Amino acid sequence: MAVDQLIEKAMKKAQGAQASLVQSETTNVSFENDKLKFVKSSQSTAMSIKVIVNGKIGSSHTTDIDDVDGVVERALEAAAFGSPAHFEFPGPQKAREVAVYDSAVLPVTKEQMVDIGEEMMTLVKEYNQDILLSAGVSKSVGKREFANSAGAKHVSEGTSFSAGIQGQLVRGTDILWAGDSFGWKKREIDHVAIARKTIKLFRMAEKIVPIDSGGLPVIFAPEGVNVLLLALNLGLNGKNVFLGSSPLAGKVGERIADRRFSIIDDPLIDYASASGRFDGEGVPHQTTPLVEDGILKSFLYDLDTAGRAGSKTTGNGVGCNPTNLVINGGDTPYEDMIKSTKEGLIVYDVLGLGQGNPISGEFSVNVQLGYKIENGIVVGRVKDVMLAGNTYEALRDIVAIGDKAEWAGGSLIVPPIQIGTLSVVGG
Amino acid sequence: MRNIMERALRKSKAEYTEIRIESVVSSWVNFRGQELDSIGSSKILGGIVRALFKGGWGYATFNDLGDLDLRVVEAFESARLVGRGESELAEVVPVVDEIEASLEKDFRQIPLSAKEGVIEEYNTIILEYDNKVETSNVGYRDSFRKIWYVNSEGAYIEDERPDVGVVMSAMAREGANIQQGFESVAGGAGFQIVEGLQEKAETAAKRAVELLTAPPVTGGKYPVVINPKLAGVFAHEAFGHLSESDFVYENERIKDLMVLGRQVASEKVSIIDDGTIPGLRGTHRYDDEGVKTRKNYLIKDGILVGRLHSRETARKMGEEPTGNARAISYQHQPIIRMTNTYIDKGSASFEDMTRDVKLGLYAVDMVGGQTSMEMFTFSAAYGYMIRDGKLAECVRDVVLTGNVFETLMHIDMVGDTVEYPPAGGGCGKDGQSPLPVGFGGPYVRIQDVVVGGRS
Repeated sequence: MAVDQLIEKAMKKAQGAQASLVQSETTNVSFENDKLKFVKSSQSTAMSIKVIVNGKIGSSHTTDIDDVDGVVERALEAAAFGSPAHFEFPGPQKAREVAVYDSAVLPVTKEQMVDIGEEMMTLVKEYNQDILLSAGVSKSVGKREFANSAGAKHVSEGTSFSAGIQGQLVRGTDILWAGDSFGWKKREIDHVAIARKTIKLFRMAEKIVPIDSGGLPVIFAPEGVNVLLLALNLGLNGKNVFLGSSPLAGKVGERIADRRFSIIDDPLIDYASASGRFDGEGVPHQTTPLVEDGILKSFLYDLDTAGRAGSKTTGNGVGCNPTNLVINGGDTPYEDMIKSTKEGLIVYDVLGLGQGNPISGEFSVNVQLGYKIENGIVVGRVKDVMLAGNTYEALRDIVAIGDKAEWAGGSLIVPPIQIGTLSVVGG
Repeated sequence: MRNIMERALRKSKAEYTEIRIESVVSSWVNFRGQELDSIGSSKILGGIVRALFKGGWGYATFNDLGDLDLRVVEAFESARLVGRGESELAEVVPVVDEIEASLEKDFRQIPLSAKEGVIEEYNTIILEYDNKVETSNVGYRDSFRKIWYVNSEGAYIEDERPDVGVVMSAMAREGANIQQGFESVAGGAGFQIVEGLQEKAETAAKRAVELLTAPPVTGGKYPVVINPKLAGVFAHEAFGHLSESDFVYENERIKDLMVLGRQVASEKVSIIDDGTIPGLRGTHRYDDEGVKTRKNYLIKDGILVGRLHSRETARKMGEEPTGNARAISYQHQPIIRMTNTYIDKGSASFEDMTRDVKLGLYAVDMVGGQTSMEMFTFSAAYGYMIRDGKLAECVRDVVLTGNVFETLMHIDMVGDTVEYPPAGGGCGKDGQSPLPVGFGGPYVRIQDVVVGGRS
């Protein structure tokens, strides 16, 4: 295997090495402006290597399969004055099984993918001819070979499949966008549900309603929960914690959120987008409770950061980023959440996320797709509205968590979450 | 390479076929806190075939150049599956040209250790600036892209596209209060542009520390003055994306909204996209379908006068191609993108803009922006309140929002000098991010801007 060859070459000069070869074939069909626009096939090869020489790390990658010598040389060159290594490559380890390959993906033809797109578009058009649609269906089959100089070695084959649709409705100078998509490692996707969801979002937006500036209760639909997760992901990142740039540093065991709030990093969910047996450093994946009943439990680590911080890797290498995140469902049915709100906002999608100072938890975003609740009823869509707050304050101000956690993309399973008060500025 | 590519083209039965092959050599150095976080270099080789048949497109991307003929056939087969109409591309004279980058200091000749030395100095300046500076993130990246482009109309272009940049970020902390200061420099130039930036490193650290004591801006509607570094992002988000014709050409309602000759901004406003300004990151001689770049007026004195095109949209709208079909890499087909976007100069001075403002905001430097075509946001690194005509306290968390059909009408003063800050960053669209783009503008005053924040 190419990875063995890379390791062998590197070990002539290095004391440790890790190599991977990733190959994939992807097909996309894409519709734009109500029509099939293109079909695209992509063949990709990527080879990467990391070496440790005299305690220092160097790395390189290439897409040229004949560049074995070059990629090794460049990594060795970088290691001569590289960053100090705070870890050793792990040896062979047992890992839990998780389904990442679905044999039903490979046989799907381009024509079948076109049909899926057309069916979604037909459904939305039946609701409203005036909505201009774009849609996409994608499939991918790939193989990853991994080895290191400590004897760890594995090969994994994976698949992915996705479908999505987005509509645009123009009325005067008002441009409304709404849509839905889903993708994971399995062929089975309910594309009809994706179209229906899109129709629902448009239906709720038929009327534009004004909103006054001030403090309002805000429900984040599962699709909108990422507004809260952005800062939390940065705060739970072990590297940020070690460097002192996470407001959560030193708070393990302390209450950081409402007691109904629990979140887990789980790379062992069958067919989820970020699932797999091992992380990028050959460490077996594990589930890591991050916040349990409002109490901060753990941060995410990779090998090097764990070494620096005197902690253990959580299998989130490289980079200490989450895999699949799961927020447990609470006890309030979504409908009751809305019914019990006298005046409030539901947020599905925002513009400008991450532009403020996300690490501190502050967010200030435009509500790109959001709805107003009056006396327990969704009365219409809001626009030209800014929503601002602090994630860490919001997590303590949770008033309700939906009783059903839903997939919001292929690596996120979350319920709707209602926050007591956030600041709203109307246009 | 030319022979192999031209031979492969002949395998296509499509009405139009092109092949673009890229080799990219890049290196990076990144410090986080005291330690070097990563250092390395990479080599990318890959390509894309685009085929057009009966109006349908087929694309095939690849890393393995050995199967080029096969990829051409694959792209054609895909196009045939899609094509149900008529192929339409604006006519351009096929170009044969070879462009060699000339770099004052060629970063490919500079050893990684020397790059590391320069970055380490900036990192040290940040960390030692003040004991409130908790950590840093200082990154260097260069890439040298060589492109071979050939199409079935006889064009053949070899292009070299260097890109080099530094991003410096300081993080200051007091308890749970964490603030950041950024500075960046990037350009299609040599290593010299990332040297001698000690002052910028210090500025980033100083800003982070200063923001610790700055209050968040109070949300509301204000007259806002933006500085040149922010004006370019504003032009890009507030209008640039709307003038990308792939959004317009098959959309009857948007065509009505975006009809040339319509007043879309106050008469003080002219916005230009120009892919020919030397040294800026959006500058190339040709776009990624072999069309020469040029200076394109989007808005002139408040009137919509032009838009950005690919060959396909130009033909379908009966307008001239503008050289704006760009791709971030061989893995992507060219789509309509901006190059360097700026607001043209007016006649006001900064003092003219603040003098009569009772309560307003001066928003400084960019963090980023996003648009949904009608609504958009753009974020400033920091700002100052304007009180009774004078700059008052420094404020943080400055995010502004607007509506394209209202905000441009509310511009009532435009400064007399255009600046093109050589900042880094890039633009994202349809999964292609970050594309190097340039920005520019003068000081600009806008009335009634919604500023996010707590009241």
